[in-house]
Amino acid sequence: MASIVHPGLLRQSFASPAASKRVFSTFTHQSTPLAQQIRPAFARSTIPKSTRIASFHATQRQQILPPLPQKIQGTANDPVEVPTSSPAHGSYHWSFERVVSAGLVPLTIAPFAAGSLNPVTDSILCALLVIHSHMGFDACIVDYFPKQRVPKTRLAADWALRIGTVALGIGLYSFETNDVGITELIAKLWHA
Amino acid sequence: MASTRVLARLAVRRTAVRPAGFTRGFASVTDTKAREPISKLGETINPSRPVVPESKTSTVKEPAPAQEAKTKTFHIYRWNPDEPTSKPRMQSYTLDLNKTGPMMLDALIRIKNETDPTLTFRRSCREGICGSCAMNIDGVNTLACLCRIPTDTTQESRIYPLPHMYVVKDLVPDMTLFYKQYRSVKPYLQRTTPAPDGREYRQSKEERKKLDGLYECILCACCSTSCPSYWWNQEEYLGPAVLLQSYRWLADSRDEKTAERQDGLNNSMSLYRCHTILNCSRTCPKGLNPALAIAEIKKSMAFT
Repeated sequence: MASIVHPGLLRQSFASPAASKRVFSTFTHQSTPLAQQIRPAFARSTIPKSTRIASFHATQRQQILPPLPQKIQGTANDPVEVPTSSPAHGSYHWSFERVVSAGLVPLTIAPFAAGSLNPVTDSILCALLVIHSHMGFDACIVDYFPKQRVPKTRLAADWALRIGTVALGIGLYSFETNDVGITELIAKLWHA
Repeated sequence: MASTRVLARLAVRRTAVRPAGFTRGFASVTDTKAREPISKLGETINPSRPVVPESKTSTVKEPAPAQEAKTKTFHIYRWNPDEPTSKPRMQSYTLDLNKTGPMMLDALIRIKNETDPTLTFRRSCREGICGSCAMNIDGVNTLACLCRIPTDTTQESRIYPLPHMYVVKDLVPDMTLFYKQYRSVKPYLQRTTPAPDGREYRQSKEERKKLDGLYECILCACCSTSCPSYWWNQEEYLGPAVLLQSYRWLADSRDEKTAERQDGLNNSMSLYRCHTILNCSRTCPKGLNPALAIAEIKKSMAFT
């Protein structure tokens, strides 16, 4: 990765005759940074290893979220602010999450154990899968994109997740109504 | 006037018949006899028990020096706030384990005493009850005073301050936010109704038993700083140590503000950033189980 970030370090490898043996030879003589970035990873195997290692170590380490200077809200003797109670994001959310997760276990086993395919259980399974994945990804976003720190990224990630969830819901709905349904698909894949 | 002074001097003057033991010493520079040690007095009083001279007693020798020194290397994180532009660095120290106490804190104190007085760390009780010497030793958050030095001298020990904390100096982390969070859970008994007998707030043995494993927490912050969720969301997530203390008051039968305490935790960040990673229970130097306490809080708040 680092060698991609540092195009200047790669120049000697481009001048070398080994570069002509590159897999994607059409890309080799484009030296724009964008072209280098879209170059697939395996094409880099023609670059001498020492160059790659040197360029890797010459690159500054990029921290993902470097710590900001410490800021203490209020005095050292004040308690931190207690957020207002919102069970919808707290206990209800947590309980719902557990119920969905626990419910998915029998729903994934039942159709195969019973050997019969029921469109009702299939639709419930799909709905719970959508909810489960949405909650799981939402937890990741809340964990890794703090609102105070990266408000725009957080907003973008939230909306990307919403769009993704809706797309998944529509996709599963059409798959269930127009095609065989996921249980049947898995059963077919299993026997394929 | 002059005659009285002479009389007084006569009265004070030591006479031969007076035993030395009854001589009254005045606080004066000239009266050297008054400040002689009592042992000397004993010699003079009881000459039948003379002191055995050194020629007739044995000699306590200095312990024999170690044949082979067990030298171990310690790499210690150093950063000096007086030089804010200089980067933190790892300083290496070698110690002879034969001359060092068994615990990491002994090694640190020995380094500070004998090698490098500028090394800075917190320590107080040296027996694991104050929680001052919490630090990251060989990759594990623990108390230096409860952590034995591995006797394998080929392995080098690495000592860092608690991870993801602002460093004040060397091994001293800034605990301000941690204490502010602790303060926010109101770690004290909240009660409005008086005791039924007007004397004490009584508990049954079972009620008291619920507090075992909670009240022993010394707030060393080892668990909180080992929690990845606390690393990412320190400002909002309370962390295992504070949640354990919160549960200590939620579980207390005498406390009457349980609902208010639960309301304070009932949001997406304060409590529910715990993802049961269990680093807290693994690292706790006191052998407590903060993850269990958090799970109990979640359980008590579920479906309510």
